Amino acid sequence: MNRGLSVALVASLAVAGSAFGLNIGDKAPSTSVKMKNVDGKDVSIADVAGAQGTLVVFSCNHCPFVKAWQGRIASVGNAAKTKGIGVIVINSNDPTQYPEDSYAEMQKRAQDLGFTFPYVVDATSDVARAFGASHTPEAFLFDKDGKLVYHGAIDDSKEANQVTAHYLQDAVDAALAGKAVPVAETKAIGCGIKFHGKA
Amino acid sequence: MRGIRRLIVWSFAVLLVSCGQTKRVNVEDVHVTPVTSADVQRAIHEPGAKAVLVNVWATWCGPCREEFPGLVRVAEKYNGQGLKTILVSADDTGDVAAVKKFLAAEGVDFPAYIKAEKDQAFIDGLDKQWTGALPATLIFDGNGKLRDFWEGGVTFNVFEQKVVEVLGNNQNR
Repeated sequence: MNRGLSVALVASLAVAGSAFGLNIGDKAPSTSVKMKNVDGKDVSIADVAGAQGTLVVFSCNHCPFVKAWQGRIASVGNAAKTKGIGVIVINSNDPTQYPEDSYAEMQKRAQDLGFTFPYVVDATSDVARAFGASHTPEAFLFDKDGKLVYHGAIDDSKEANQVTAHYLQDAVDAALAGKAVPVAETKAIGCGIKFHGKA
Repeated sequence: MRGIRRLIVWSFAVLLVSCGQTKRVNVEDVHVTPVTSADVQRAIHEPGAKAVLVNVWATWCGPCREEFPGLVRVAEKYNGQGLKTILVSADDTGDVAAVKKFLAAEGVDFPAYIKAEKDQAFIDGLDKQWTGALPATLIFDGNGKLRDFWEGGVTFNVFEQKVVEVLGNNQNR
């Protein structure tokens, strides 16, 4: 492979995580892919889907932004689950790049945070690729018909005491009420997903 | 005399860069200014540059730290050929001391910036393609037109190839 081509390939791989993405109204992809949960069982997105909707959050352990938001992910997720929304948190990071993202560390984190929902390993990162997820934390909420109604940030500030817009909670509330989500797409800075198979 | 001294300093800097060595910079000499996306856009559109490289990074971001030496090498190597480099830290503004320390260690002696705006406004104000993942890099031509954008860390060779591409096709304003 010549130098120019290899440079172009590296550059295209660098943007691969953000080249595709779900649009509002799309169905969840890769719903039948089994992923290892922190309890040792294999579960898929379809397995956890709730009667009122499904919340999928791409997350991890090491990212400082995840650490800032993880308490709020636990709180919104646990509450949503009690109301009929299926919840799954997915770690698509390659733990060889960040040992803190290992399965053993995920087990500890799920316990420490009191997750009542699965925290699973996307061992090839293919689920993240199918969603077009690019960073952590990144949330996707599907309504009871399986259509994407919210994609983006947990809320509008990494600092809990500076939050003025509770995007994900508002989206969950709207989905439960069968109403349109007030703000369907948001963004926040986060850690790029450390995709498996990417140098 | 002044011109000769400047030439010697510049030659020494180029020599360091070409050898891949990090320039020695004192923390006190690192300047980090809080910015909004509008400030960054203004800096991108200021006349004088043939290409503008914008990189958003953070001290806590592994891939950002990994690509930084290559990024700084490109910034130094092409500074004299019309490249303007805008480094924007996404660290908390309260962590500016850590940002300065990192930049000094990486040999950054040109003005740098720190994000002082809510994420959504900053991301969309910079470019709507950006999902928020770090690091994020944008290259503009001399007219302020976006020529390339990517998320994720790259090597010196990739930075150089992209910069040369824009510098080569651009006339100074």
